[in-house]
Amino acid sequence: MWLFYIEQLLGSLPFFLKGLWMTIAVSGLSLLAGTLVGFLWGILRASRSRLLKPLIGAWVDLVRGTPFLVQVFIIFFILPEFGIHLEAFAAAVIALTNLAACFICEIVAAGIESVPPGQREAAASTGLSGLQQLRYVILPQALRVSLPPLVGQYVLLIKDSSVVSAIGVVDVTRVGWLTVQRVPQGLLVFGLVALLYFIICYPLIRLSNRLENRMSAGYTRSRD
Amino acid sequence: MIEFKEVHKWFGELHVLKGITLKVAPAEVLVVCGPSGSGKSTLIRCINRLEPIQKGELIVDGMRVHESKTHMTKLRAEIGFVFQQFNLYPHMTALQNVTLAPIKVRRIARKQAEEEGRRVLAKVGLGDKLHQYPAQLSGGQQQRVAIARGLCMKPKIMLFDEPTSALDPEMINEVLEVMRNLAREGMTMIVVTHEMGFAREVSHRVAFMDFGELIEIAPPEEFFARPRSERTRLFLSKILTH
Ligand SMILES: Nc1ncnc2c1ncn2[C@@H]1O[C@H](COP(=O)(O)OP(=O)(O)O)[C@@H](O)[C@H]1O
Ligand SMILES: [Mg+2]
Repeated sequence: MWLFYIEQLLGSLPFFLKGLWMTIAVSGLSLLAGTLVGFLWGILRASRSRLLKPLIGAWVDLVRGTPFLVQVFIIFFILPEFGIHLEAFAAAVIALTNLAACFICEIVAAGIESVPPGQREAAASTGLSGLQQLRYVILPQALRVSLPPLVGQYVLLIKDSSVVSAIGVVDVTRVGWLTVQRVPQGLLVFGLVALLYFIICYPLIRLSNRLENRMSAGYTRSRD
Repeated sequence: MIEFKEVHKWFGELHVLKGITLKVAPAEVLVVCGPSGSGKSTLIRCINRLEPIQKGELIVDGMRVHESKTHMTKLRAEIGFVFQQFNLYPHMTALQNVTLAPIKVRRIARKQAEEEGRRVLAKVGLGDKLHQYPAQLSGGQQQRVAIARGLCMKPKIMLFDEPTSALDPEMINEVLEVMRNLAREGMTMIVVTHEMGFAREVSHRVAFMDFGELIEIAPPEEFFARPRSERTRLFLSKILTH
């Protein structure tokens, strides 16, 4: 009996791989866009801007304080009421990009704030412009602090992407749902689903740990 | 070179500089001393507008620092600033620390900037530490790199905010030596310090600050032998007996 189901499952492997590809596409696009937006927001949030700083802070709190599933529903079901029609895929990418941007914004802002103010003052006093201070002095140090939690956050976001199956995006999770209707072996089917997520996430978890170790080693690598 | 005219500075309610008037000539070395919290750091941080002033005029190298439209990055390139805590860039080697601004601000070719960086680091006695990170250097060495970082911009003015206060006693002299040489070469310098030996030997004038006011300013012979104000006398008796 088990063998029969495993055979059936193997038969739907191409379907699973398509789902896997969809998960990678949705998360990949969202993480890329979310990282860009998140860095921009994070830099502004750590700046002295009187307007943008609290505005971004409020938005981040709002997004972090509501379930992601509800955010996805809002974008997918409510926006059409206002004449904005989105395909499930686009809605999923927008929702996940926004979520990623909010978490990354917090990580980047915390990284920037961890850099002692004397660093900016030293850079400013040599005549570097604000952008040059950021690029050559602040961000390299902030990144060192931010990179391990950033990669860790990627793992969480990839797993969160399973939520978008609720609006009909055929990602790995949705493929699991569809398959379990034909192959009534929940453990087997979702075991495979879990395995596929794990295969994507595990290297990132390892990377995050390695970055963490490198960071705690400090700036002592000599170059001569 | 530097001119304060009735300069006032507040931090919120706190009146930190109360009408400072002061002129520093080219090639002059001015030492500023005074109790902690009297406004010495604030005074020199105003010169390159790390702190903005609220009232009065401040003219540095012909530029009107008190006017908000004055573009500071250009002026800052002409003023070296040495901090009590060194503030070296920890992710860069000594050589990278001193060449960043020449390359990015002065737009000097990397090769040429590195040549100059090597020369200046050798001059402050660190010719063998070019590729060390700050964490691998002693406090005295770090502070000398910080001075070299300022010098590599070929500044017209060097400002020092208690450059030896964070150092172990045995490292103070190596830093003062570099500053002595600099003074001899005719650099315009304002040095906030309690190293009275340095003040006596190197400075042209010594200023005493208390509660945001310049109480007294005089050539060192006069300042130490015949302080005019009671507060100066009290302060000197405290730090000279220590
Ligand atoms: N960024 C700041 N915000 C508020 N108060 C400050 C700030 N910097 C300095 N002060 C206050 O201004 C006064 C003068 O400080 P400072 O110039 O650092 O004195 P000093 O260098 O002579 O010890 C002190 O009372 C200090 O607490
Ligand atoms: Mg001070």
